[in-house]
Amino acid sequence: MKALPFILAAVAVVLLVRLGLRRRGQGRSSQLRVFTRGLRDRRLLGDTGLVAGREIRERVRGRVFRVVTLILFAVVAAAVVIPTIHAGTTTRQRVGVVAGSPALDEELQKLATAVGLPVELVRETDLSAARAALSAGYLNMVVDGSGTILVENPVSDTDTSTGARYVRTVATTLGAQQAFAQAGLTPEQTAAVAEAKPWPVQSVHPGKKSTTTEEATALIGVILIFIVLTQYLSWILMGVMEEKASRVIEVLLATVRPGQLLAGKLAGIGAVALLQALSLVAFALVLAEVVGANFVHGAEPLVVVATLVWLVLGYAFYSWVYAAAGSLAERQDQVQSLALPLAAPLIFGYIVSLIGVSSGSASLLVKVLAYLPPTAPFAMPTLVGFGEVTWWQFLLSVALSVVCTVMVARVAARVYRTSVLRTGRRVRLRELVSTLGK
Amino acid sequence: MAGMLEFDGLSRRFGPVTALDDLSFSVPSGQVVGFLGPNGAGKTTTMRAVFGLTDLDAGSVRWNGVPVGATQRRRFGYMPEERGLYPNMLVADELEYLGQLHGMDRRSAAISTKKWLERLDVGDRSTSKVETLSHGNQQRVQLAAALVHDPEMLMLDEPLSGLDPTGIDAIGQVLLEQARAGRCVLFSSHQLDLVEDLCESVAIIDRGRLVARGTVDELATSGGRRLAVRVDGDRQGSWAEGIPGVTVSEIDGGEVRLVLDGSTDSDVVLDAARSAGRVTEFAFERRRLSEVFREAVGQ
Repeated sequence: MKALPFILAAVAVVLLVRLGLRRRGQGRSSQLRVFTRGLRDRRLLGDTGLVAGREIRERVRGRVFRVVTLILFAVVAAAVVIPTIHAGTTTRQRVGVVAGSPALDEELQKLATAVGLPVELVRETDLSAARAALSAGYLNMVVDGSGTILVENPVSDTDTSTGARYVRTVATTLGAQQAFAQAGLTPEQTAAVAEAKPWPVQSVHPGKKSTTTEEATALIGVILIFIVLTQYLSWILMGVMEEKASRVIEVLLATVRPGQLLAGKLAGIGAVALLQALSLVAFALVLAEVVGANFVHGAEPLVVVATLVWLVLGYAFYSWVYAAAGSLAERQDQVQSLALPLAAPLIFGYIVSLIGVSSGSASLLVKVLAYLPPTAPFAMPTLVGFGEVTWWQFLLSVALSVVCTVMVARVAARVYRTSVLRTGRRVRLRELVSTLGK
Repeated sequence: MAGMLEFDGLSRRFGPVTALDDLSFSVPSGQVVGFLGPNGAGKTTTMRAVFGLTDLDAGSVRWNGVPVGATQRRRFGYMPEERGLYPNMLVADELEYLGQLHGMDRRSAAISTKKWLERLDVGDRSTSKVETLSHGNQQRVQLAAALVHDPEMLMLDEPLSGLDPTGIDAIGQVLLEQARAGRCVLFSSHQLDLVEDLCESVAIIDRGRLVARGTVDELATSGGRRLAVRVDGDRQGSWAEGIPGVTVSEIDGGEVRLVLDGSTDSDVVLDAARSAGRVTEFAFERRRLSEVFREAVGQ
């Protein structure tokens, strides 16, 4: 049974890769072609659609994409499955009961519910038969009403699996109840004592609260946004540079307008990015449901939606900037000198948000960054994870980001138009400013 | 499909450099027109202006009397000087894509791609990546990219450079066929002998201005009559110096090339040659295109 999630994960990965595989000649009717046919239909989206269709086809067919996708799926599978193995099994446990009573049965079930372990009580006639069933692996533990608990292997104090916690709880509780009875307490008094709660301990300074499921989802979301953005933005940077370097840009611009070419490229790469992110999220949720991993129950729909919204907004904002930067360069070394300054706000927003999520409270910095378009894609999902944002604040940040993206896109398109046909050395900022000022 | 490409008063300055200086000429359909000029004369800038790849300070490019815009460019084919194809794409995919960008549907783009790859002898490389092809084959694919959408006007910047004789023949043949089929074909080259064989007419520009325009025959027979004379025993051609109305244009391995002005009789030259020794060659000659070119650009 433990192998099932891995088999499912492997099947999902193979299916995805096959979908991306296009064998020439026989791949003419593959799903991918059907998918991109609409995009390539001139009547539907014109040249922009054709350009986007080419980007999708070529990107998905590329080896880099397949390898990276495989790795990402493997990482997600590991992140989902490994914690469930580590946490031990939560499958139904058989507990043999010797010399039992309805009260004992009730107590055992109550404790099982408290620990979160499904148990099935099996009535045993005598201790030796129960011991044999335990040794044979049919029973997981045996409770002898006369005052003994039998397990197959010793249970260590540091074992945090649910099974081990159940054994310790049953042992402690039953022992205490026996002591209360021997002390002459009535069943009512015993029940009253059993419900005793420790006094609350209060500290002067607020302590670090444990991570909520919303925060855990936000953490994973911020990491996903960062991985997807850095991967696909570098594709844009390199893609625009390569079109300029290979001079294919002259052939393209002889028939397509620069705006159409750029928009098609960004839309195509964006579609691949979104598709990959969606399949990763869907894969993680399905896999987690199958293996019964904890975080699926905590994957707050609101945080998941916020993550995807900000993935799209973040891509929309940065894609124009990266495209404009790519059009300035035509060699690898020229592009590298641009890559770091471009990535700086992205990395800053990511790290600040990551620290915010792990520290358990949203700092003032995160709250400010959540309204700045370059850092909002990380900071805003973080705030949503903390539940520290109202709907109008969220929408305000979205609106700011959209307005800013439109402005950035207009400037970027002009930079692109001016620079992409200029060859030789890298286009300098000063030249750009003077051209744009005209 | 007859059409006419007209350049009308094109001017373009790049900072202190004048690339085009009131350049005007026209290119009719149905013939291969050579576009010549020394390096930096403005040939590439002129071609880029047709495709909107460079802005003009003044002037306009017209196709059949209509200023060239996006609609006209769809029906033009362009082969830029610095070749441009996606290195990672498969040859057939790339050509089909470019065909579609020029307005073809997928089906006709695929059929045309196959036709042109086979016509240019690279049909067996249709499923190879462009970057794995040899220089010559990439050049053939680049030409196919300019032809795939069956353009009305073909503009090729140095299409023959770096090709072996087979490649030159193949591409030259295609250009002639296109012209015969009524297309407008303009190509630039520095290989003047090839241009002379291939072109019906030429336009020569220098420093952004038109300096010669006409059919190859007109240009070859214009100017004074030309004689090639060889005299035994006088390899330096000293006998020809001082004949009135005669200029020595070239002395090459004992062969003396002379240009006669309109009033000079060739008999005068023959007599002068005879008196110097035995005449082994005496022939009237056409001007070669290289001479026309040098004269036109003042070199």
